[in-house]
Amino acid sequence: MSAPTREALWVRLRDSGLVVGEMPAAGDASAPWYVRVMLGIAGWIGALFLLGFVGAGFAFVFRNSGAAAVVGVGACAVAVAIFRVAPKNDFVAQFGLAVSLAGQVLLVFAVGDWMDRSTLAVALFVALQQALLLVLVPNFVHRLWASWSGMFAASIALMDAGLFGFVPAVTAAAFVWVALSEFRLARHGPLVRAGVYGLALAAGQVAVLPGSLLGELFYHHGDHGVALGIPGVWLARGALFAVLVWAVAALLQRERVALASGPGRIGLVGALVLGLVSFKAPGVGPAAAILFVGYANADRVLTGLGIAALLGYLSHYYYSLDATLMEKSGLLVAAGLALLAVRLAMRYWWPENQDKSEEAGHA
Amino acid sequence: MPPSAHSRGGYFANVNPPGRKPHRSDILDWSDQVRIANGRLREALELAGVLPGADDWRRFLDRILLFMGVVLLAAGVIFFFAFNWQAMGRLTKFALVEVPILAVLGLVWRLGVDSIAGKATLLLASLLAGALLALVGQTYQTGADTFELFVAWAAAILPWVLVARFPALWIVWLALLNVAVSLYFRTFGLFWGMLFDPEKLLWVAFGLNTAALVVWEGLAAGGLKWLRERWSVRILATASGGLIASLALHDIFEWHNSSHWGAPLWLAWMVTAYVVYRHLVRDVYVLAVGVLSAIVVVTSFVANGIGHAEAGVFLLVGLLVIGMSAAGGYWLKLVATEEGS
Repeated sequence: MSAPTREALWVRLRDSGLVVGEMPAAGDASAPWYVRVMLGIAGWIGALFLLGFVGAGFAFVFRNSGAAAVVGVGACAVAVAIFRVAPKNDFVAQFGLAVSLAGQVLLVFAVGDWMDRSTLAVALFVALQQALLLVLVPNFVHRLWASWSGMFAASIALMDAGLFGFVPAVTAAAFVWVALSEFRLARHGPLVRAGVYGLALAAGQVAVLPGSLLGELFYHHGDHGVALGIPGVWLARGALFAVLVWAVAALLQRERVALASGPGRIGLVGALVLGLVSFKAPGVGPAAAILFVGYANADRVLTGLGIAALLGYLSHYYYSLDATLMEKSGLLVAAGLALLAVRLAMRYWWPENQDKSEEAGHA
Repeated sequence: MPPSAHSRGGYFANVNPPGRKPHRSDILDWSDQVRIANGRLREALELAGVLPGADDWRRFLDRILLFMGVVLLAAGVIFFFAFNWQAMGRLTKFALVEVPILAVLGLVWRLGVDSIAGKATLLLASLLAGALLALVGQTYQTGADTFELFVAWAAAILPWVLVARFPALWIVWLALLNVAVSLYFRTFGLFWGMLFDPEKLLWVAFGLNTAALVVWEGLAAGGLKWLRERWSVRILATASGGLIASLALHDIFEWHNSSHWGAPLWLAWMVTAYVVYRHLVRDVYVLAVGVLSAIVVVTSFVANGIGHAEAGVFLLVGLLVIGMSAAGGYWLKLVATEEGS
């Protein structure tokens, strides 16, 4: 936004008693999302070389889990200190990011050794470790990484516990809950926003790789609530359906829109359609959640991510082995027609002049 | 300092997509600095017109339901023909895809290609055309290679793409060409691996996407307003920049088996991108792609040049990456701030 526009906005807000004093100088808002993505990728490349440095120069660290844990904890502590002492210095921030990532890898290596490579134990440890770092490290890129990797570790834990089918529902619920609280938790804005993006990435990943592929890639399990058998699969899909309906209800409540109103009915019917589609195509639910919640929060990056996740899921859906191409075709055609029908219904339940007449009534 | 983008007017003034609401990040920034009264962030966002109102929601839902419906319908038809249901007769199959195409074209005629619904319907027709061509190949066993299907598909829908004036449809068309090129080299690479190596595929793909990028930017600058949406041109810039960086890496790691043109052209691409996207079009996204590309290529060059896997080398290269990314990030933030000032 140009300086005069910012100033005009500041004056408007000040006149309404929403801000006080002089307008502050432009801050981190000037770092667009793609600059942060670039810094994150570069941070990882740097971390890999630092890990190479530790591996080549201090080989005993990788031979002894105790030493790896000590160096890992030390690296993470140094990173936390770096970020807290000089949060605005770009070089220091990149160095801290790389040191922290190297420390995290060493800690996972050590814990994996201690826990006899138990997937569940290591995944739970990583989820806790990343949750702690999410709170402790005041850096957007690092927090986004901690949020995504923590949720991913939680997904692996669910998978190992035989509840992998519930991952789309759990991830979507976590994303929706935190994202819809973004404005309410304004005092923790930087933490919450980074958390939202991390959870959105996790939800997008679950959408594009909803089950069988992700499971087989990382754990050689399919898309099943293994511990609960076929009822588990249906229970998990039911949970995703419930999450979508709850998400729309919570969004309508936040926007102070009555469920029985035209927009309320459109929202609920849309959620029912997408929820039903998610029973057979579970990637649709998390992707749709990112898309609609992103739009509700006026967040263009999340909206774009939601669209990309939907298209990515559609490409993957062709190859998924859950159903025949004929069944998938029927589902897609039915879903497409249902969404076009909802669009048609919108013209009757929510006509264009309805809001204007309501506004006139309020005035 | 160059004149501000807004003062110049014309195409160069408008690198932000239409409908953008740029207050959001500033208000959140003020909130982070505890300058907004406690518990009143939402109120501030509402007052600034950042959050979508009823009209915005209706327009958004109207479009998203339309496009999701259209894409799912088209995907459903494509999946159906991929299933190759043997029990269904040939004529029925053709009717199943040709009748919808005719119906959809009739709808386009009624809606007009300038309406958003007309454009979405033309997108549906373009996707259904692919299903029809696949069905022709499936039914008559033409013996055509898969890449030919995609070439024919792109050629068949070209008139619709031209009249639609719709960036998303152009991206679909370019994606078809990219798939065709990739399949072509995969097909012939199997037979004549010596003649068609991966580097040639990278060069052809780079040429295709770079040409598309140049033409797109040129036409947008020349006055075609509908080509000014940045998301589509950024996809092309990412493809072009990614491919030339891959060619430079091929030069670095496979020097004896490479054309030796990758690295010089990568350098030329970087200089051109800097001049165009820093001073003419002003798009920080493409500059960020360039910075990341520089980090990857320079790091690879240094690491490959030193060659030893020693602790000191790892540390040196690690610090080099950190230094370059910090400097790049600092510069990009500076440019982004300048754009907003």
